[in-house]
Amino acid sequence: MIGFDRVSKRYPGGYDALKDVTLEIEAGEMVFLTGHSGAGKSTLIKLIASIERPTSGTIYVNNHNVTKIRRAAIPYLRRNMGLIFQDHKLLFDRNVIQNVLLPLEIAGFSRHDAHARARAALDKVGLLQREKANPIALSGGEQQRVCIARAVVSRPTLLLADEPTGNLDSAYAAEIMQMFKAFHQAGTTIIISTHDQSAISAGRVIHLEHGKVTS
Amino acid sequence: MKTWFLHHRQAVTATLRQMFSTPLASLFTLFAIGITLSLPTSMMVILNNATEIAATLPNPNEISVYMDEHSNGEKLKHQLSTLPNVASTQFIPKQMALAKIGQQLNLGQLINDLPKNPLPDAWIITPVSNDSVSIKRLVTQLQKLPDVDLVQADHVWSQRLDALLKLGRDMLLLLAGILAIALIAITSNTIRLQISTRHAEIEVSQLIGATDRYIRRPFLYFGVMQGLLGGIIAWLIVFTCIQLLMPQFLALGKLYDTNLSIHTLTLTDSLLLLTLSAAMGWIGAYFAVSRSLANIKKFA
Repeated sequence: MIGFDRVSKRYPGGYDALKDVTLEIEAGEMVFLTGHSGAGKSTLIKLIASIERPTSGTIYVNNHNVTKIRRAAIPYLRRNMGLIFQDHKLLFDRNVIQNVLLPLEIAGFSRHDAHARARAALDKVGLLQREKANPIALSGGEQQRVCIARAVVSRPTLLLADEPTGNLDSAYAAEIMQMFKAFHQAGTTIIISTHDQSAISAGRVIHLEHGKVTS
Repeated sequence: MKTWFLHHRQAVTATLRQMFSTPLASLFTLFAIGITLSLPTSMMVILNNATEIAATLPNPNEISVYMDEHSNGEKLKHQLSTLPNVASTQFIPKQMALAKIGQQLNLGQLINDLPKNPLPDAWIITPVSNDSVSIKRLVTQLQKLPDVDLVQADHVWSQRLDALLKLGRDMLLLLAGILAIALIAITSNTIRLQISTRHAEIEVSQLIGATDRYIRRPFLYFGVMQGLLGGIIAWLIVFTCIQLLMPQFLALGKLYDTNLSIHTLTLTDSLLLLTLSAAMGWIGAYFAVSRSLANIKKFA
């Protein structure tokens, strides 16, 4: 599903975030990216989502070479993946369900279908009763769950989560990880970056150190 | 198609919500646009009316030849036809001229009460070529003819009027051009402000698969809507001004014994005004959004 072939990423200013990374992730896998902060976990996720472009090497997503993807094609690539961020990136000028509806509005779902799907997604993360609340009134864990609902609402085949439990205490973190496991069992490919070794349960681990894959 | 329709409806709703969320600021912007647009529009109305009045004036290139009071003007017919640069001639005997004047000035019985016709016979000559040199030459030739009292060529003032109208039109175009740029700048600025308050939304939308077109759409609608509403305000301003000035203008016309008819904005003019104002709004919005889209960093 995802292939990296000798990929390097150097940020302006000369910092090498990834050095000569080659890896393969199959469809249906659950992968944990581990390593210290600055090891290149976030960069790897950004490269998959075409948020950044590699300095050298080739990246395949869904058998498409995305290394030199046209800017206009990126949105359609992203619609096949759900992105989950450490800082949630929720919009505070609208309520919870409107946040979850956003990807569906962008993809052009009818109002009726979109609402049904959004409520189903909120139900999955256990926040259906908070659909009218403003995200700012929610706890950190709940906000992260809204972010997950927004990522899965368009039923992507790939979930990318960048430090999803980074700001959460361990009880919340375990809850979130449990959710990812459930999505994985439903057949979704999941890539989670984390610096928290204890969060890792089942699945494959890719360890990064100073921009290189060590295991 | 359904998606397209849905997206546009979303964009329109978002636009209206945005405008009503800051009613006072929106209103001021709309008035700024309206007043800006009302300047060239009212100038256009004035010019249109001036052009129309100018067109009702007698053919400016005709040359009037007035005969000596006691001569018989008709004798001149043969000589006139031999002159170069004469396209056609028309003889107006003094009786006819008197009757015509009586009609035009509504003098009625007064004319018949005159002891004697004060008007001379006259010829009206239409020249072949209208350039000032050949007209001048023709005038001199006409003056040399026997029994000619006065030769009057109206071409000088008609040329001045034409030049004046042309100057007015050029000024209108120039002014309209400058104000169009002002309009684009105003729109661009309001849209930029909006973009800065909706930065988070744009960023998140991009991350979850929104195309540039999707992100641009509500702003373009906003620009068009703002331009259109500004255009409507401009129309209302001009219309009101005309209505306010109309009675005075008509009264003035009466003093000159003419029945002036003042034209307000025609349907074509109004549509042109609204189309252009909407277009300027669109362009301004497009500039602002494109610049911002290029600038926005895609990830924190």
